[in-house]
Order: sequence, then C-alpha cells, then structure tokens
Amino acid sequence: MMSARITRMLRTAIVLAAALAANGASALDKGIPAPQFELPGKDGGAVQLAKLQGRLVYVDFWASWCGPCRQSFPWMNDMQARYGARGLQVVGVNLDAKSDDARRFLAETPARFTIAFDPAGATPRAYGIKGMPSSVLIGPDGKVLYEHAGFKEADRAALEQVIQKALGGEK
Amino acid sequence: MKVRIFFPLIASALLAQAGCTTVQPWEKGKLAKPEMTFGGDRLETRYADHIYTSREAAAGGAGVGGGGCGCN
Amino acid sequence: MISKQTPQELAASLLAAALLLPGVQAHADEPPRNGSISLRYLDYADRQPGLDRIHAHSPSVSVTAPVAGDWSVEGTLTADDVSGASPRYHTAISGASHMEDERKAGDFAVTRYFRRGTLTAGAAYSTEHDYVSRALSLNGTLSSEDNNTTWAFGLAGSRDSINPVNNVVVDEHKRTVSVLAGVTRVLTPNDIAQLTLTRTNGSGYYNDPYKLFDNRPRSRRENTVLLRWNHYVDATGGTTRLGYRYYSDSFRIRAHTLSGEYVQPLANGWTIAPELRLYTQSAAWFYYDPVYDATLGAPFPPGFSNGADPNRLSSPDQRLSGFGAVTVGLKVAREIGKLWTVDVKVEEYEQRGSWRLFHDGSPGLAPLRARVLQVGLTRRW
Repeated sequence: MMSARITRMLRTAIVLAAALAANGASALDKGIPAPQFELPGKDGGAVQLAKLQGRLVYVDFWASWCGPCRQSFPWMNDMQARYGARGLQVVGVNLDAKSDDARRFLAETPARFTIAFDPAGATPRAYGIKGMPSSVLIGPDGKVLYEHAGFKEADRAALEQVIQKALGGEK
Repeated sequence: MKVRIFFPLIASALLAQAGCTTVQPWEKGKLAKPEMTFGGDRLETRYADHIYTSREAAAGGAGVGGGGCGCN
Repeated sequence: MISKQTPQELAASLLAAALLLPGVQAHADEPPRNGSISLRYLDYADRQPGLDRIHAHSPSVSVTAPVAGDWSVEGTLTADDVSGASPRYHTAISGASHMEDERKAGDFAVTRYFRRGTLTAGAAYSTEHDYVSRALSLNGTLSSEDNNTTWAFGLAGSRDSINPVNNVVVDEHKRTVSVLAGVTRVLTPNDIAQLTLTRTNGSGYYNDPYKLFDNRPRSRRENTVLLRWNHYVDATGGTTRLGYRYYSDSFRIRAHTLSGEYVQPLANGWTIAPELRLYTQSAAWFYYDPVYDATLGAPFPPGFSNGADPNRLSSPDQRLSGFGAVTVGLKVAREIGKLWTVDVKVEEYEQRGSWRLFHDGSPGLAPLRARVLQVGLTRRW
C-alpha cells in the first residue's frame, strides 16, 4: 500500500519536471536575419553565409556521434541533387570537437553538399540550437524561414514540403 | 527516516545547479558513448542483480519491476 | 490534498501528467534506431572450504526493436539450470540439502517515446519447481528542455506463489509493491550523475523453507538510495563508472555497496573493463549466530529446550548475517565490424563475516567464494 508521503514526493517531482519542461522558447524567431558565419570548408576553402545570399540555404548542424545524423545525410544528398538547380544549397555545419571524427564519418557516409567545420561551437550558439541534429532554413533574403530539431523517418516528407514551398511551389 | 531528508536535499542541490553551466547539445559527444550511459548491457546487469540478490540481503536500487525467484 | 491512492490510481495520474506536458522543439529521447539481439551465457559456481555449493548454468536471449517510429519493444528469455548443496543452517556441511532445479523466466516491455519523455509498460514471469513469480511495471521519464535533467518514475508490483518441494508449507504467497523516483543530470561534457530512490513494501511468505528454524516476519519494507557517476577521462579516452547504494529494511538490515568500473577502449575495437565492488551488511535482527541450545545442540537456537516460544522469529541463513564481500572482475570486449560485439567477463566473489565494515560481522560462518564466467554476443541491425 502506498504511503501518503511517497504519493506527495512523486507529485512534487512531476510538478518540478513540468516546470522544467514548460519554457518553450524557440531557438530563433522566424523572419529575423540569420546570424552570419564564415567557417573553414572541407577542402581548405571558406564557407561564408553572406556569399550564399540569393539562394535558399538549408543549414544542418551535425556531429559524428549523433545517431539521427547518419539517417539525415542520404536525405540531404537527395535534396541537394533534386533542388540544387532551383536554388537550394545545403550546408552541413559539423560540430565535432575533433574534426578527425567528422572526416571518418564523411568517409563512411559521404556528403554531396557543402560541409563546414565549427569545432568551437560559435555558430550553433548564435543560432540558439537546442538539439542534435538541428536544421535552419534561410531564405534568399537572408531571413530565417523555418527551424527543426531531430530527424525521424516521418520528418523527411514534411521537411521536403517546406523546401518546395520556399522555392515557390510547382514542378 | 533517511529517505525523507535525502530526497529534497539532493534534489534541491541538483536543481540549484540548473542555472550554473548548461551543457549545450553539441557538447554531448562524449556523453553519447555507451559506457557513459547508465544502462549498460541489459543481460549483464540482470545476471549481476540475480547473483547478488541470491547471496546478499540487499536488493535493487536502479530499477523496479524485475519479479522474484526462489533463488537458492 | 493528500490521500492514499491505490497503485492503479497513481499510475493513472502519472500517465495523465506525462501526457499533459507542453510539446517543445527538441526531442528528449530518440527511439532506438537500430534493433539488436543479444545472447549471453553465465556459468556460476560457489563454494565454502570443504563443500562445493551451488552451480548454475544460465543461457539467455534478449531482443530490442524499434517499432513504428515512436515505439520500441524489448523481450528477454532466460533459463537457469541450478544444482548443488546448500547448508540447512549456517554453513554446516553435514546435512546440507542437495537440490536441482530449472528456472525459466521471460519478460516483455513496450516503450512509447514522447517529445520530452518516455513511458514503459512491462511484464515479467518466472517459474521453477517451487516458485512462480509474476510482475508488472510502469516506468516513465521526463526531460528538461535542454535535455540536461531527466526525471524518472517507476511503479511495479509482483505476486509470487511458493510451493516448496519438501511441503513444509503449501500454496504460500508473497506480494510486493515498489515505487521509484530518480533524477539524472548532465554536469559537464564529461560528467553525468544519477540519484535514484526506491521503496518496496511486501507481505507474505519470506521464509526459506529449506532451512531449519527459519521463521521470518510476514512483511518487509525496503528502501534504497543509489548514487551513480560516470566520468570521461580525456587523457585516456576511458570512462570511470562509480556507484554507491545505501540499503535499509524492516529486518533491520543496513547495507552499503560501493562499485567501480573503468572502461578503457583500445585499438581495433577492443575494450577492457576491470571492476571492483565492495559490500557490507548488518545482520537481520532475528538472525542467530551458530551458538546453539545448551541441551540439544546444533541446529537448535539457544533457549529452545527451555520452552522458548516456538513461533518466535529466527533464521540461520548466511544471507541474513553480518558480513562484508568483495568482487573483483574483468571484462574484455571486441567490436567486429559495425554490427557485432563479443565479450567475456570473469569475476571472483568472496564473502566473510570478518570483512564487515564499521562493525563486527557475524561470527562462526565459513567464508563463501564464487566464480562467475559470462560470454556474450550482440548483433545490431
């Protein structure tokens, strides 16, 4: 039989947990200009957000240790292949503390889109990233259109729809 | 009873840390390693629990719901 | 308002609370992306000077699989083949009872993953010649928005039926209800800690029917406090896993457990993990030392021939005596490709009255030693 004290303890714990979970502030508000970044790229060059103005930029924050990231790469390759000509640019910003781990991941799971390295984590901080992976869709005008955290099977269709809509619908 | 004093004390100490240094999602690479989680190999943990509850008086700690046995 | 709720009512209000939480952006617990199947085999043998005691072989299989995006299921089957000799009282070799039994057990759990938490329902069943155990459980977790704090709740109940082969009693029962509350906290990028409290209330048959003069209370209340801390060592790439458990119950047994494991990954997918566990417990208040009745001698408890109440509580069970114990172990594992893991674990355990910490242990019992060998194989898909 449950003692009143145990019931009370459990109730308090639930209330505390609910309070902890209650703050639903989102990462960045839609419509604000996306924070600028300039990061080293895969083959020595630099990746600069300012240079991508005019294109629809899908920024994905990933790391080698993040399970769902492995699933998201084939999908991002697919998106880049299908919508690249219409103005989509996928930029995968790697957040591994050791870039070697990232390169090992890329050797097994190749990326056919732009990769940038941010081991210090300044970019995700500027974007208020709350989970891994996280993606931010930036319009041709440089403003934030959409954000998403996590990557599940069910997300693929929904995210593709958002990209299509941002590119102007049909075909 | 010790339980009554312990729980609010430690819970508040842990919660007090809530404001201190928040670990960011991209800093959790090491925490993602299996040896850094509390699960461990499921079967290995069960064997250990089963052996120790058969030879010692103390039981449990990490979870509830395992069921019992005659265990000589 | 404080009221006494039945376990069913409490489970319902926990579920309601879990579902009412606001949806937030980041995902707390991702369902496992990969399934896995594990096989494991245990070989256990214990002994005391002059007597090999219990030998057990135990194969088991466990399967975990993600289902339909937001769910996962997990099932385990295990069989214990146990045989050997057990002293009927204290560590007396003469008159030790020989036994042979086979225990089969299975359990199943279903987990639903929400944005900020999980809910798991489980059932377990175990059967052997003289003992059947059934258990149900409900466990939930809730995570903070930044995923650095996770609260855990659990509720479980069990019903056991006992029919000893020596017919000392017939159709006895034991029921327990357990609750758990815990919190896990990410402290630094290299540290994570967990505090768990559990409480179990039980009533029914607690005696060991194969021991003489074993007459225990018909209820038992148990509490545990478990503190665990995992720390990643940057310099070596290894991880220290430390744990401390405090146990106390209504038999007036107090126990401390300190365990430590160091996991060191090596080249080519090898991992080595030595472990050390220290344990100490006080005796149950009704345990009696191997000092016997002046007239009748062993195994009669003192005062038996002087007309002491035959229904008084007593037990000569070594497990309820005061002692300290040490476990030393080593596990070696190898990852083969991306999908397979093999491991071997060997442990040595010793229990002695004189090793009890902080106080005197129970005198007059032979030390108990056990050797444990495990082999495991896991395949992910």
